[in-house]
Amino acid sequence: MNHYDIIIIGGGITGTAIAHECSKYKLTAALLERGTDIGIGATKGNGGVVHPGYDPTPGSLKAKINVRGANSYPRLAKELNFGIINPGIFVIGFSAADEAVLRHKLEFGIKNGVRDLAMITAEQMHNREPHLATDAKQALYAPTATVVDPFEVAIAFAENAKANGVDILTNQPVTAIEKRTDGSFRISTANQQFACSYIVNAAGNHADAVAKLLGIEEYQMKPRHGDLLVFDKDMKIKPQTVMFPCPGPDTKGIACIPTVHGNTIVGSTATMMDDKEAVDNYAPGIQALIDGVHKILPELDAGKIIRTFAGLRPVVLDNNNDFFIAESQTVKGFIHAAGIQSPGVASAPAIAEQVRDLLDNAGLEMKPKSDYNPYREKQIVFSELDVAKQDALIQQNPAYGQIICRCETVTAGEIIDAIHGLIPAHTLDAVKRRTRAGMGRCQSGFCQYKIIAILSRELGLAVDEICLEDQGSRLLCGPVKGGAK
Amino acid sequence: MKQLNYDVVVIGGGPAGMAAALKAKDKGATVAIIERNDELGGILNQCIHSGFGLSYFKQELTGPEYAELFINQVAAADIDVFLKTMVIDLSPARQVKAMNDEGMLLFNAGAIVLAMGCRERTRGAIKIPGSRPAGVLTAGLAQRYVNIENRKPGERIVILGSGDIGLIMARRLTLEGMQVLGVYELMPYANGLYRNIKNCLDDFEIPLHLSTTVTKIIGHPHLKAIEVAKVDENFNVIEATREVIPCDTLLLSIGLIPENELSQKSGVSLNPRTNGPLVNEDLETDQPGIFACGNVLHVHDLVDNVTLEAEQAGAAAAAYVLKQTNRQSTNEARPVEARTTLSLSPGENVSYTVPAKLTVPLQHAARILFRVNKPLDQAEVVIQAGTKILYQGKPHAFKPSVMEMVALNPEEMIHLSYTKQPITVAVQAVNG
Repeated sequence: MNHYDIIIIGGGITGTAIAHECSKYKLTAALLERGTDIGIGATKGNGGVVHPGYDPTPGSLKAKINVRGANSYPRLAKELNFGIINPGIFVIGFSAADEAVLRHKLEFGIKNGVRDLAMITAEQMHNREPHLATDAKQALYAPTATVVDPFEVAIAFAENAKANGVDILTNQPVTAIEKRTDGSFRISTANQQFACSYIVNAAGNHADAVAKLLGIEEYQMKPRHGDLLVFDKDMKIKPQTVMFPCPGPDTKGIACIPTVHGNTIVGSTATMMDDKEAVDNYAPGIQALIDGVHKILPELDAGKIIRTFAGLRPVVLDNNNDFFIAESQTVKGFIHAAGIQSPGVASAPAIAEQVRDLLDNAGLEMKPKSDYNPYREKQIVFSELDVAKQDALIQQNPAYGQIICRCETVTAGEIIDAIHGLIPAHTLDAVKRRTRAGMGRCQSGFCQYKIIAILSRELGLAVDEICLEDQGSRLLCGPVKGGAK
Repeated sequence: MKQLNYDVVVIGGGPAGMAAALKAKDKGATVAIIERNDELGGILNQCIHSGFGLSYFKQELTGPEYAELFINQVAAADIDVFLKTMVIDLSPARQVKAMNDEGMLLFNAGAIVLAMGCRERTRGAIKIPGSRPAGVLTAGLAQRYVNIENRKPGERIVILGSGDIGLIMARRLTLEGMQVLGVYELMPYANGLYRNIKNCLDDFEIPLHLSTTVTKIIGHPHLKAIEVAKVDENFNVIEATREVIPCDTLLLSIGLIPENELSQKSGVSLNPRTNGPLVNEDLETDQPGIFACGNVLHVHDLVDNVTLEAEQAGAAAAAYVLKQTNRQSTNEARPVEARTTLSLSPGENVSYTVPAKLTVPLQHAARILFRVNKPLDQAEVVIQAGTKILYQGKPHAFKPSVMEMVALNPEEMIHLSYTKQPITVAVQAVNG
């Protein structure tokens, strides 16, 4: 059995950011993810806004972590080669009452250290967003705000951590944890055992359940559900800026979000749920999103929706809506990184630093590695290359000359790269998140059978064994009468 | 990057592309077909049922048989065919950027025929609530799996939408031993052809539930059930009728959308009613020398009609190029023609017309294609310019699933170039 200094439970953006941070030091670490891929919980059910930090109450843990995390994104995007755009945010007021709220946010933001925040007029807003609702009166403008693909960031963190020596293990649902008399932990997953000195609990919505395996009951969690919509890239009217309405008490409101790849996301609703697996879309939520975005962009074409999705924000109850990042009071060496609801994406890099400090305080020696490589090589994205490079690439490897996904112009070469990547893609959705194959307007209607064939060939599996995502999500169920095996 | 020059470049090697290419070749043009798949024939290759060719060939063929007749003609016709070749850009100057596993290609075309076909509407487009499991797929993808890949998508199947592909698949899956529990249709009438309702559902005792839709998808990680409910005349769910149906597969046959992302790159304007290019009576788009035909122009119910339309586009594309070439070689000024473009729009009970504009005086008879937007038992076509009736047809029954065609002859249209009245195509109910 392998003994690690640290085992991180949970491979979302929080867990992978922590793995990435740990990989900078002379220590041994592993990350255990229950799912078939990294970043498939709350991380994929997310709008991707890197909130700059005007929301949290000054002085809270969230406030400190949010701003620091958000500020590190431009540097991380360069080092780890993930997509990032800088559309800025408008928080839009429609009334005098809203203006007071926005000024309050401005004050929070300034106290929290958010740069370049300003109140802007309706005219300034309309100059940038000509299709904005005419009753928009003023906005809080956060020009530094960025947008990322959270699952791409998680994959980037995990791949860089792996390249720097952290073991990233998928299909490892933790079933039992034992604290040994020597102070070490023994972790059992469905089919393996691990030993370690420290545990970081980054299990998202299941952090309370993971803690309970050790008898730790320091908090209770419930998910806050959100519906989201994805719109086609090809729209006459789409936002250039992330636009939120003036927020209510529990949610930032329904926003329209330009994405890294030119789509628009509209999200999200906010409903407390009991079921931690309830990532369904709900009809009233979908309608609320359409109605909500039309208050901001009345002419946005709801006929251009190509997909609905949903996410569950992990909320620690009775915690002032804050994160819960601390060493357990009852079990030494067990660190919680729990309740990472919004702004979890923005905060992830700083949460990782916070966890590093907690590990340090808990007695783990954190000596920087001399051979740490902060850079992650960029995967080939055929559609982003110029023609001469595309031509040369095809000459080198004809697989790059074969378009599989016509909507997003993804080649067989890119799909093969993803399947054999550092964190390999073994499912249809894992391929989709890495290459965008199937993410376009036909939603894989044309390319699904081709991708299944490539997965089957590259992994040596029968086509009937290829899954959409989770175990049990097989896409085909055997041969037709007299069909080939 | 390799450069190639052709009089006519046809994008898409399905039934539309092949017919257009053959006709353009026949008229004397040099022709290339660019096809993204590894064989010609397009979607016909997976349509192994019969019913094709009844009007064009006067015999009943399967999809692959219908395709084969054209594939053989293309092979014999000195047309350059580029298979496994994907067009990635198209300019108004008729330069076609494409790629295959040998490299990047640039085609310089005298004229272009758009024949890229259509794609299926997906779950996202109709926003069905519920989980997002494996086991929900479009009818066309299921057809690919069953007929070409020899794989079953599931065992207990529900079909949403009564489009023709859904109906055909209901029969196909039944014949392959799967259990088709029912076809659900939001509208109060079926969207597919009557013969498909009869031959694919009735003959196999598969129930068709009209004014009923899928309200929820249930199960994770694989589909376990769907919830269906009846809707009222405003498509609102009737709560008391909600019902859960256990199944492992949901096929979506909820409509087809012409695939015009490429067309738009060349600046071609689309008709919002069809999602296909706005064309004139020669099937020329608003970008000179770029023509469109088949399902990329508007969704057809019969391939025979696609072939006829594509032949017209192919001939027009060849004529466009050859006219330009002749003019250059003889150095003659183009003869000045006093022609006027008139808009052609759908009137009462009509959802769209193709073409959407006519250039008068017409130089040949113009084929006007259209569909009604609801079933009408006894009605007649009335085409008029202002108050002047240009055409009035024999009363008959109309269905949205059946495309209608009227030919306008040049003589009747002559005076229109002076009055410049917009033309409307209406279908009016006839009493008695």
